[in-house]
Amino acid sequence: MDDISEASDAQLVTMIGRYDEVALAEVYRRHGGAVFGLARRVLNSSVEAEDVTQEVFLRLWNQPDRFDSARGSLRSFLLAQSHARAVDAIRSLNARRNREMKDASKTARSGYDMQHEAWDIALADQVTRALEELPDEERQVIQLAYFEGHTYVKVAEILQQPEGTVKSRIRSGMRRMRAVLSEAGIQGVET
Amino acid sequence: MKHDEAYELLAALSLDAVDEHERRLIDEHVATCPKCRSELDSLLEVAGALGNSVDPLPEGLWTSISTRIYDNDDATHPMPVLVYDSGERVTSSRRRHLGRPAPRTVFSSLGAVAAALIVVLAVNLANQANRASNLQHQLVNDDAANAALVTPGHTVVDLASTTQADLAEFVLVPDGRGYLISSKLPTLPAGDTYQLWGVINGKPISIALMGTSPRKVTFTVSGSKPTLLGITVEPTGGSPTPTSAMVASGAVED
Repeated sequence: MDDISEASDAQLVTMIGRYDEVALAEVYRRHGGAVFGLARRVLNSSVEAEDVTQEVFLRLWNQPDRFDSARGSLRSFLLAQSHARAVDAIRSLNARRNREMKDASKTARSGYDMQHEAWDIALADQVTRALEELPDEERQVIQLAYFEGHTYVKVAEILQQPEGTVKSRIRSGMRRMRAVLSEAGIQGVET
Repeated sequence: MKHDEAYELLAALSLDAVDEHERRLIDEHVATCPKCRSELDSLLEVAGALGNSVDPLPEGLWTSISTRIYDNDDATHPMPVLVYDSGERVTSSRRRHLGRPAPRTVFSSLGAVAAALIVVLAVNLANQANRASNLQHQLVNDDAANAALVTPGHTVVDLASTTQADLAEFVLVPDGRGYLISSKLPTLPAGDTYQLWGVINGKPISIALMGTSPRKVTFTVSGSKPTLLGITVEPTGGSPTPTSAMVASGAVED
């Protein structure tokens, strides 16, 4: 392949399996901003988010076979890794007290792959719209769980609601979001 | 965990909103349940979309990642061979490198790397001005390299032997891409390959395998610009770190 920027994500992961650092660099260029952005948003710390980002890409380097393109997109795979590590960190470091509400609409302007930025912005718009369409109680539990790093048990405790109710609202909220995103043509979310 | 219980928790799992015990139980079930697996994959995509806000990447983060790739001292996970060479696709799998210890003898000290390259090897500073027209006739039929030579901000790097003989020239463009534009490197015997290195933060980073008789080499250097380019002769498949002295090197002018 003469131009690595034209390689698919799946092809890049295959190349990483052959120790191709340039392929890893290209994956970082495409998805690093999202991986870092999610970790920073959950942790509210750029320094800790950098650590998470490093771990995510080193893990991809060391275990590329953990990504299965048949099961989902590379972006979602990397974001899941980033989120899981950020949540681990926030739960173990008890850093939540340092958190403050963050603007969720930030997008990259420097050091980022402009080719993918338009898609990200379009997706962000769809996600914002999908979130807005959720009933308040569903949006609230999803935000507390995902962006604050709480378990559904903890969310129930915070909201003083039964665990079953929170579990059910997370489920219905995610399915509702899936339906909206699927209708908007976001690939991979449909069942 | 029973199917219904697991299925109910998949959405929470996709948000990492379950505890470790529950996660383990759900994972065990999902591994044997196609329906749950499909549902989880779909929900993970939704979660991915939810978390898809992009931040500017911090300066130097890629360099840290790239450097840590080379810090793996675990003998059972040998140092990776890092290649991208449009002229010669490397096909060796990772398994082939198992058991091959990472050579560290030649460049054990990062600072010494740059010093050794500078002191021991001849360094030709590229004279950038008005080089493009002189170089284009030497191109090895590479349109991309030709285009790079007229790209604003490009840098031409001469690599010379210890006896000052010019052996190779590369052009680097500001987005990190680089191309071989001429080569007088002698053909190597089968089993060997030329390997191109960039010295970044005093550390040699593998940039490309160039094959036995380099004609067309394309690469991308992400993050920091190298201060030096150097070429060694390595076994086919390349080496994670240089195992022999540079046959040619040249400083990259800012």
